[in-house]
Amino acid sequence: MDPQLTEVSQMFERFKAAFIRKDFDSCANLLSQLKVLLTKFRSLPPLFENTPNSVNEVLLAREIYEHAVVLSVKIEDQDAFERDFFQLKPYYTDAGSSRLPPSQQEYLILGLNLLRLLVQNRIAEFHTELELLSATALENPCIKHAVELEQSFMEGAYNRVLSARQNAPHETYVYFMDLLAKTVRDEIAGCSEKAYDYLSINDARQMLLFSSDQELLEYIKEEHPDWEVKNGSVYFQKAKDSAPCKEIPSLQLINQTLSYARELERIV
Amino acid sequence: MATAAATMVSSAGGLLAMLNESHPQLKFHAVTNLISFVDQFWPEISTSIPILESLYEDEEFGQHQRQLAALLVSKVFYYLGELNDSLSYALGAGPLFDISEDSDYVHTLLAKAIDEYASLRSKAAESSDGAAEIDCRLEAIVERMLDKCIIDGKFQQGMGIAIECRRLDKLEEAIIRSDNVHATLAYSTHVSHSFIYCREYRREVLQLLVKLYQKLPSPDYLSTSQCLMFLDEPEGVANILEKLLRSENKEDALLAFQVAFDLVENEHQAFLLNVRDRLPTPKSLPSESLQPESSDPAPIQNENSTAAEDVQMIDGSSASMTDVLEADPKEVMYAERLTKIKGILSGETSIQLTLQFLYSHNKSDLLILKTIKQSVEMRNSVCHSATIYANAIMHAGTTVDTFLRDNLDWLSRATNWAKFSATAGLGVIHRGHLQQGRSLMAPYLPQGGAGGGGSPYSEGGALYALGLIHANHGEGIKQFLRDSLRNTNVEVIQHGACLGLGLAALGTADEDIYDEVKTVLYTDSAVAGEAAGISMGLLMVGTASEKASEMLAYAHETQHEKIIRGLALGIALTVYGREEEADTLIEQMTQDQDPILRYGGMYALALAYRGTANNKAIRQLLHFAVSDVSDDVRRTAVLALGFVLYSEPAQTPRIVSLLSESYNPHVRYGAALAVGISCAGTGLSEAISLLEPLTLDAVDFVRQGALIAMAMVMVQINEASDSRVGTFRRQLEKIIRDKHEDTMSKMGAILASGILDAGGRNVTIRLLSKTKHDKVTAIVGLAVFSQFWYWYPLIYFVSLSFSPTAFIGLNYDLKVPRFEFLSHAKPFLFEYPKPTTAPTTTSTVKLPTAVLSTSAKAKARAKKEAEQKANAEKSSGLESSSSSLNTGKGKPSSEKDGEVMQVDSLPEKKAEPEPEPTFEILTNPARVVPAQEKFIKFLEDNRYVPVKSAPSGFVLLKDLRPNEPEVLSLTDAPASAASATTGRPAVGQQSSSSAMAVDDEPQVPQPFEYTS
Repeated sequence: MDPQLTEVSQMFERFKAAFIRKDFDSCANLLSQLKVLLTKFRSLPPLFENTPNSVNEVLLAREIYEHAVVLSVKIEDQDAFERDFFQLKPYYTDAGSSRLPPSQQEYLILGLNLLRLLVQNRIAEFHTELELLSATALENPCIKHAVELEQSFMEGAYNRVLSARQNAPHETYVYFMDLLAKTVRDEIAGCSEKAYDYLSINDARQMLLFSSDQELLEYIKEEHPDWEVKNGSVYFQKAKDSAPCKEIPSLQLINQTLSYARELERIV
Repeated sequence: MATAAATMVSSAGGLLAMLNESHPQLKFHAVTNLISFVDQFWPEISTSIPILESLYEDEEFGQHQRQLAALLVSKVFYYLGELNDSLSYALGAGPLFDISEDSDYVHTLLAKAIDEYASLRSKAAESSDGAAEIDCRLEAIVERMLDKCIIDGKFQQGMGIAIECRRLDKLEEAIIRSDNVHATLAYSTHVSHSFIYCREYRREVLQLLVKLYQKLPSPDYLSTSQCLMFLDEPEGVANILEKLLRSENKEDALLAFQVAFDLVENEHQAFLLNVRDRLPTPKSLPSESLQPESSDPAPIQNENSTAAEDVQMIDGSSASMTDVLEADPKEVMYAERLTKIKGILSGETSIQLTLQFLYSHNKSDLLILKTIKQSVEMRNSVCHSATIYANAIMHAGTTVDTFLRDNLDWLSRATNWAKFSATAGLGVIHRGHLQQGRSLMAPYLPQGGAGGGGSPYSEGGALYALGLIHANHGEGIKQFLRDSLRNTNVEVIQHGACLGLGLAALGTADEDIYDEVKTVLYTDSAVAGEAAGISMGLLMVGTASEKASEMLAYAHETQHEKIIRGLALGIALTVYGREEEADTLIEQMTQDQDPILRYGGMYALALAYRGTANNKAIRQLLHFAVSDVSDDVRRTAVLALGFVLYSEPAQTPRIVSLLSESYNPHVRYGAALAVGISCAGTGLSEAISLLEPLTLDAVDFVRQGALIAMAMVMVQINEASDSRVGTFRRQLEKIIRDKHEDTMSKMGAILASGILDAGGRNVTIRLLSKTKHDKVTAIVGLAVFSQFWYWYPLIYFVSLSFSPTAFIGLNYDLKVPRFEFLSHAKPFLFEYPKPTTAPTTTSTVKLPTAVLSTSAKAKARAKKEAEQKANAEKSSGLESSSSSLNTGKGKPSSEKDGEVMQVDSLPEKKAEPEPEPTFEILTNPARVVPAQEKFIKFLEDNRYVPVKSAPSGFVLLKDLRPNEPEVLSLTDAPASAASATTGRPAVGQQSSSSAMAVDDEPQVPQPFEYTS
């Protein structure tokens, strides 16, 4: 066996061990070294050179990146998730179909990614990803879960979204489901701002799915400093006023029209 | 196993994600891989540009990695079409940006870099505060590119870039290292004339070229002196000439003569005079070795004396050799050559030869004039004078005034100003007749104490005529004109004298004359003042002198529109060819309140940027053409485009095509003349197509302009090469005959007939010399000519722009030897138009009653006369068989003889069909029309070899067999009126010589025979 490959797989074993120990610091450390080592394999994306060990190498690399994705969820690092996921993706899309056995983790991770997009409220990208999936993939519970969530989210059935936390298909999903609650809350807050002039604190607490007034007040302080809390109600007036009003550049338009007219006259 | 092709990457997302990794090695890996995928995935990468940019700016990143990132960003920006950003990052990529790579990216960016660099360089040069702000990396790239061009042998490309970027050092390197230094030098001269818009910089380039020329082992004196002329360095030229003349070698002397002729062609009088004055005066000579040109200026001699002189000339060289006893032979030879070259430089030699050529080859068709004369109503003085103008133009420079002499009665109907122009017309006819001009005009000139019986109009006209005769070569006549100006206070005579002086002293910037003309101006008389204004301009052509502001001040002061107009044109003339230097003055004039001065401003723009096709000037003119409130200004602005664009005639029709459809007739008129001016003599098909509809315009003066313009375009094009020429001739005839036609367009048609057959059908309108220099006289002539809108007598200025379409070969003695060469094209393409034979046929159909036997007889007589005249001309020249066109071997010489001997049998001869020859042999001197030039070939085994292989103009011939006697042609002086007696013996000579032409190979010319 290729010494490099051996080195990588040995290091990966150590990574897995640390992963099980939940020693995430050393995991991250090892992962970074692994990635650097992986760049030396020419069989990996984007080069896809046919080397004798290419299948093994690609397989190993794929597994490393799958672990990396899961690790990023564990350490609750969305940026790292995104990075690792994109690096993993070519292994599914470009390399996977023809020469590799499909990965067990594939749908789990794709589902996670969908969830992440939902959490980050990147609906357009969510649908782009969805379109790329095959019909069989859509049947997979992991994917299905994410799709259903999105539908509820769009409908405004926020309670269904929140209740879905209980039947998450995988433990890693829990992290995103928590985040999703916050996304939902932001959506509600945005809508209320538009819909009401003011809300009583009680209504607002219910609406925003907080368990106590304290939480609500903290939330307002952190996220919406332009809301006013007085007389036991939350006023949204200020936020409405501050919305920038677009001015019509009338003077400029007039000038332009006049100059057109002048030029027209000059045309021979 | 799947192939590599099957596993192509579908997205750069993975690599882009890797850019966000913290480990630098991963980033590096990502960048490296992204570069190879950028062509495919640039849209994806473009979203990550900020990350890449920060990578490039990250100081901790290694040099190589940062450059790599820069290259990547540059490529993405390139795909995004942001070339500026792309370039700046490409510069950041340093050596990684590989200029030898053959990709669109590299090509585009290189072009961009060079553009950028060039514009920075020229900006730096203009602002003159150092080139400090130029990015040294940019410079490095351009230099790499230049070096590469030189190494790859793409010298022209390299030179182009070097010139564009103002890197004279690189230009020099490119030229020196090229394999054909002469060709590259010629190329760069050409480039510097056609593509460098900044005058100052062009001077620098030319200076460099001159320096390089001089360093060459075998210097190209012809080109060098052309450059020197542009630089206005008479000293350099004088040195070259002197060196060549000093040489023992006869060839060098020939070369010197050729240089001088080429310089003369550019008509830069002041410069030529300067060169001449710098040459040493010939030391006291033994009288017999003097040149006939200088010692015996009047060519009144009869045939005998000419022949005798020829003998002397042939012996000349040997004679001077034997003069050892009297003086150092070298000195004698040198002095003799000096005299010759001074004759050439003064223009006398070429003018005289041209005159002889035009006289002997005159093919003007008097019948056309007769038709015009008969169709024009008696009392219509406009058409009457137009006919006189047409006659003058048709015979410009031929000295043939038969038409006037035959119709003295008719002529006498011209009164007042018509008389002025009739008299002035003589000047056009005798243009260049320097020696005899004064005596010819004597009967009309003001007599000493103003006691002469002549009317002031004819006296004024005569002075103007003298100016036309001596245009641009007024050394001999200046004084007389000045005296005449001083001795009169009659407006009309002053008018004529001012114009005459301006013409004679064109561009000499003579202060004394200027002051005298100024005195006339300050009398504030409208008629004289107008001429004075123009005259001052003519004197100061192209000097950009301070005088312009003085003139401008007076233009503001005076009340007379005429004077303002004259001055406006005069001011415009002073800035001739000064380009940017003139901008202040142009600005001043074009912003003036007075439309007449704005009108002058248009001329100033036209003349300052003549033939440069300068974009700024074109833009300005187009702006005025559509936005000025005065029709006159708009018309002139469009017209001025013709002057700016004459160096690229093909452009003009395109640029003015929209304007030619303007609702404003003045703009249409301007468009017509613009095309006429810039495409003059080209016969350009687009130009004709543009003008055709205008000749049928609804407005009379537009028709007039279009007809004149069309004639200018079609000059010397015959029906065989463009059938529309024939149509146009018939159209002219129809307009002239039509009783209901407007006077304006009728006048246009008459003038057009004149221009179409100008100079006995042997001249064309040429604004550029063969070396692509502008011909000052010609351009100034056309500019003043275009003023005829206001003042008809200025029509005669058009004759200044005529240049003979001739090949005139000269030997060492500046005589015209017999010499044959080939025009490798079907002769009929370039033939003279057929003489209008039966003018009655058409008229009989239309007006059967009008053609009575008398008029038919008159016409028959006219025809006979014409033929006789033609024969007389033919026979008048001694060996002039050679001077007339020898139409190839296809035409048997017997026909030629037949024409001479039996006048009556002409029609039958015409009838017989001939096989079409595919080439013709031309005999020196020959008519070579511009379109024909590319077909001219010199025969290999000829006795004479041209010093420079030019297809037309004056060419010095090297005699390979100097010991054999020479046969000369074109020795007849025009003044010796055609006499039948001398003609007779010539016939024998002629038949023998033309019989020779029948053989396949041209033979050695027959020995010289004395024919006295």
